[in-house]
Amino acid sequence: MPAALHDRTPALDEADPSLGPRGPFPDIALRREIERRWLHYAFLSDERDLGLVSNIAWLGPAANDPLRRTRNTAIVLMYDRHEGWSASQFNALVRAPAWSAFRLSASARVSRFEIASSAQAPGVDLTLRRSSHPCTSQCVAFTPDQHFRWQSETGIHATGMWRTKARTYRRVRAIGYHERVRGCWGWPELGGWVFGFANAPTGKDGAPPPYALVFTLVYPQAPAEAATASVMLWQDGRLRRHFTRRNIDVAVRGLLEHDRVRHVPALSQHLGVFAMAPIPRLLVIDARQGRDRVLLEFECRAAARIVIPSESGLSPFSVHEVIGPCHVSGLVNGKTFGFETRGIVEFAGGAHAD
Amino acid sequence: MPTESAARLLEQTIGELSVRAPAIVAAAAGQLAPIALGLHFGDGSHAVLAARASRLLVTLGRARGADVEVYFDDRSMNLLFDREHRPVRELLEASLDVRGARADVLATWRCFRLLAQRAWGLRMVQTLWREYRAKSTERWGEPPRAPGGTRRGRVRHALADSGWNALDYLDRRDPAYRDQAHEQAPWLRAAARSLWDGRTARAWSDAPALLDNDLMETMKACRARVLREIAAIIPRREPRAQLYALMRDYPSREGKGLRATLTIATCASHGGRADDAIRAAAAVELFHNGFLIHDDISDESTHRRGKATMHMAQGIGLAVNTGDALNLFAVDTVLSNLPKLGLARTLALIHEIIHMCRETVEGQAIELGWIRANHVPVRDRDYFQMSTKKTGWYTCISPCRLGAVCAGETDPARLDRFNEAFRLIGIAFQIQDDVLNLVGEQALYGKESLGDLLEGKRTVMMIHLFRSADARTRARMAEINGLPRARKRAADAKEMLRAMERFGAIDYAVALADRLAHRGVRRFERDLAHLPENEAKAVLRQVAHYVTTRPL
Repeated sequence: MPAALHDRTPALDEADPSLGPRGPFPDIALRREIERRWLHYAFLSDERDLGLVSNIAWLGPAANDPLRRTRNTAIVLMYDRHEGWSASQFNALVRAPAWSAFRLSASARVSRFEIASSAQAPGVDLTLRRSSHPCTSQCVAFTPDQHFRWQSETGIHATGMWRTKARTYRRVRAIGYHERVRGCWGWPELGGWVFGFANAPTGKDGAPPPYALVFTLVYPQAPAEAATASVMLWQDGRLRRHFTRRNIDVAVRGLLEHDRVRHVPALSQHLGVFAMAPIPRLLVIDARQGRDRVLLEFECRAAARIVIPSESGLSPFSVHEVIGPCHVSGLVNGKTFGFETRGIVEFAGGAHAD
Repeated sequence: MPTESAARLLEQTIGELSVRAPAIVAAAAGQLAPIALGLHFGDGSHAVLAARASRLLVTLGRARGADVEVYFDDRSMNLLFDREHRPVRELLEASLDVRGARADVLATWRCFRLLAQRAWGLRMVQTLWREYRAKSTERWGEPPRAPGGTRRGRVRHALADSGWNALDYLDRRDPAYRDQAHEQAPWLRAAARSLWDGRTARAWSDAPALLDNDLMETMKACRARVLREIAAIIPRREPRAQLYALMRDYPSREGKGLRATLTIATCASHGGRADDAIRAAAAVELFHNGFLIHDDISDESTHRRGKATMHMAQGIGLAVNTGDALNLFAVDTVLSNLPKLGLARTLALIHEIIHMCRETVEGQAIELGWIRANHVPVRDRDYFQMSTKKTGWYTCISPCRLGAVCAGETDPARLDRFNEAFRLIGIAFQIQDDVLNLVGEQALYGKESLGDLLEGKRTVMMIHLFRSADARTRARMAEINGLPRARKRAADAKEMLRAMERFGAIDYAVALADRLAHRGVRRFERDLAHLPENEAKAVLRQVAHYVTTRPL
């Protein structure tokens, strides 16, 4: 199954390229080398302490490619309590078309998602079912012609087979997160981000989590005003609160030991990649608006550092996928809630260090 | 720089340690003195290691009359410094051979052990060793396996609405975390830091500067953090070319980051957050650069940190205005601490800043008065007073006091405990700077070579020269000093330098700086014994020792 997912053809309405493509996620061709489209998946199993992160990316044609071909990369990372993190290279095989909740109609909520490294492990063959509604899209614009736009959906149920190098797990039930991204950015200019999600445990199969949370902190290199933060809270599958910028505090404490961080893909270990600063050990996010309040605590336990080559600089961009326990509590509409679960957090950055 | 031989590698390692872990080098030198080590390496290279005051000196080549002879092969050197490969369990019989008097051998071992402990933690040393190892791949052990991470334990706690924001919650609110910090979870000892406060983002990868044992890296990180703050303070609007771009010029020029490090480290050593001290450190930097611009005009300096001075490049009018603006923004920066640190601490900061500025202008006035009257003081003590006022306060004493205030320390008696230690260290530092201006390379020092002599700057060397020279030389030197700056030639400065060398002024200054630095270090240990032994105090100690081991 090659990763050559369906190509996009230029849309007819690209009359004024200076305005950029229409719409938040236009279905048109990527033109510049730093134009990107992503589908992102992250799941945590109900039992057995498994975790999955996968990213499928379409990139604009390379500057030196006369045929102007769109490029694909796909990577799958799996966390197993026994083996820690493992990952494919950037050439993971994906069943096309890649599953995306954003393309499904309300009546077709269930479909298949299959991705595996070329050695078949790590890999998953899952049936995915959406249970919630996506949030509205968000955008960060930084240099005059660069931006980063994303849209999230929580409460994705996954059932199926997970394969690590040593074991195969069947009929694993998991719940997770899905996101689509479109934008045009260079890694050094993007700066970095801290992102994460948490789904409250759901008792019923296929039901939306009682509460789910997604937070994002994005800080481009410049201008300083472009940095932004958001916390979104879902309740029973519907977006209930969106806390923005001024209403949010993010703090960290402690450092995760370097030996708990695995470099992936394995090839990156042979390319003389410089060490990054250690990622924090504890993350606390506090969001409040009026009387509503949400407090999230996350403890980093194990991390995989995905080393992504930068098109415009020597330093690679690094995304640390971190798994750990998470505690969310809050007060919304006069009602308190709280849950403990596992979450996945990303600490990304490092390409601007040239 | 290539590390082509083991002896060269040792020389570079000691060089790096001298600037990055001065306290350790000083301690190792204390163990070694007065022993001279003859070192012989497995690759056929040789070196001599000896202590002089607080410095360790490495001379390549064979020793004559060494007290202790040491033979290393690559395998035993591994024991000393290399952390990427485990030391082999059993040394070959011929790997390490130390010969000398028993007490001397033990002192040698203690010296090496001190060096090895600290060198292990320094990335720069590890880089040197990696380069060396890449060229000498034989006989290295297998790479170590990463130790298993089994630390667990996190106390669950109530999550009722505390009314505290995320930073306070992590840092101060939760007693469970505090207990863990002391007992079970050493990774929590670092203070919490904010990534987003509703307006400003800070990269998670901005690792806390004070967690590094490498003084140079710490100073670099502190300086970078303060420069970012300054960049945010100075507006990006018109008049750009005539003002705001010029205001960024001096702060962005190469510097050590000493003041920023002292401010941040002192704040952290008192239990404060490093972030709380950033604005105060930025204010000191702004004042400092404002003073420098004015100072360059009054001294008629041509170069500052390797580039043309502001008034040489932009004219006196714009330079004066830029200096004024820097001072104005510095005041505004101090005031901007109000929402973060509260009224009491901000008022205390203002008090400290005003005192610092008063001392500085008084010091400048004393020196300019000497130059105008063509007077050279007779006593070193006069120089000490002038130097402390002109540079000592804003370089050493005030940054420490400001850092302590940022952490909430406003007791004058406690704040005064920084004064004597850092007064002595500051004078020693200034004397060394003056020596470097005479004997250092311009590329490294930044000012024009012999610039101090051309400016007629009253230094310890000049005072010693006038005190010890014969009447004829003294008259000639006074004549050179009396010339206006524009009429002084390089030949005049060189003539004065030769006279200084002839009358031992430079050696005298080096020895005096050493003595003052040692007294400063002793006062540091005595006067600041009340501060807990934490990472930040270790950084302050490194700065104190930096003066004693700085290569001259």
